[in-house]
Amino acid sequence: MALSEAEIARYARQLLLPGLGEMGQERLRAARVKVWGAGPLAGPALLYLAEAGVGAVIVDDPGVVGPADRAGWLHGPSDEGKPRLDLALEAVDAANHFVYAEPEGRGPGPTAALICLESPEQARAAARIAFEARLPHVVAEVDGEGGSVTVVPVGGPCFECSYRPGGDRPGQAAGYAAASSLAALELVLLLACLTPEPRGRRLDLLRGHPAARATVRQPGCGCTVGRAP
Amino acid sequence: MSRLDIRPYSCPLTWVKTRIALERLAPGERLEVLLPEGEPLENVPRTAEEEGHLVVSRAPAAAEGPGCWTVVLEKGTPRDAAF
Repeated sequence: MALSEAEIARYARQLLLPGLGEMGQERLRAARVKVWGAGPLAGPALLYLAEAGVGAVIVDDPGVVGPADRAGWLHGPSDEGKPRLDLALEAVDAANHFVYAEPEGRGPGPTAALICLESPEQARAAARIAFEARLPHVVAEVDGEGGSVTVVPVGGPCFECSYRPGGDRPGQAAGYAAASSLAALELVLLLACLTPEPRGRRLDLLRGHPAARATVRQPGCGCTVGRAP
Repeated sequence: MSRLDIRPYSCPLTWVKTRIALERLAPGERLEVLLPEGEPLENVPRTAEEEGHLVVSRAPAAAEGPGCWTVVLEKGTPRDAAF
């Protein structure tokens, strides 16, 4: 279905981006993105996805706002103790009324996923679930004022193939903002079929600059037979 | 030939509407654009050329109202996005 007049006006400047056009915007609108996390690493991505005009943002987060969430974009001092899920849905809804903001389990399932969990182990587990479900997904990780973003298209090497342990510095506000925004951008490019590396890539944020490299399947990794380890 | 009236719009919607109309055509097909003189008449044909389309003609269209022009564009071959 073609974009409405209101949608064209809403996304006018985005429609001018090279290669996106009406078809790319329609692809974004058709996407239902599950976002794992609603904390400081997810906040910028949630807003970015809403502003970009994906069809639905499905949020999965059982936590409540704590002091550490103040490093993100969504939560202020008065939000402590409130469910992060509710605040995330409110933020998405307020950003763009064309986008459905849904909690996990309501409505049809996702068509893509964005993993923005502060815990590396939880992020790895979520990536395995997304891979098994054959969802194109992007994983954001934070490390101090930097971090990394891994893009996993369907059929590409899994997150484990490029995972590097370490990065044990606590997340800083700048790192959350950069990794989260970059992850959302990479997912938008993937959904709009504009990603420069269709087989997947990893971007490491080094001193504020993203260094990209294509991901390769690691010998012995279970994803060589279409299954994550 | 398809026809598009962008007189009710202002920048950037003038070019957005034109670009979407061009996207819906096949390479070589033509689009007649009605636009007002001034910024749209300067920018829409120029941007079309920058994006690889051909400006076939531009002429006043007095019958459509004072200050109205008609620009005929021919769709070019789409270019790859650069990301």
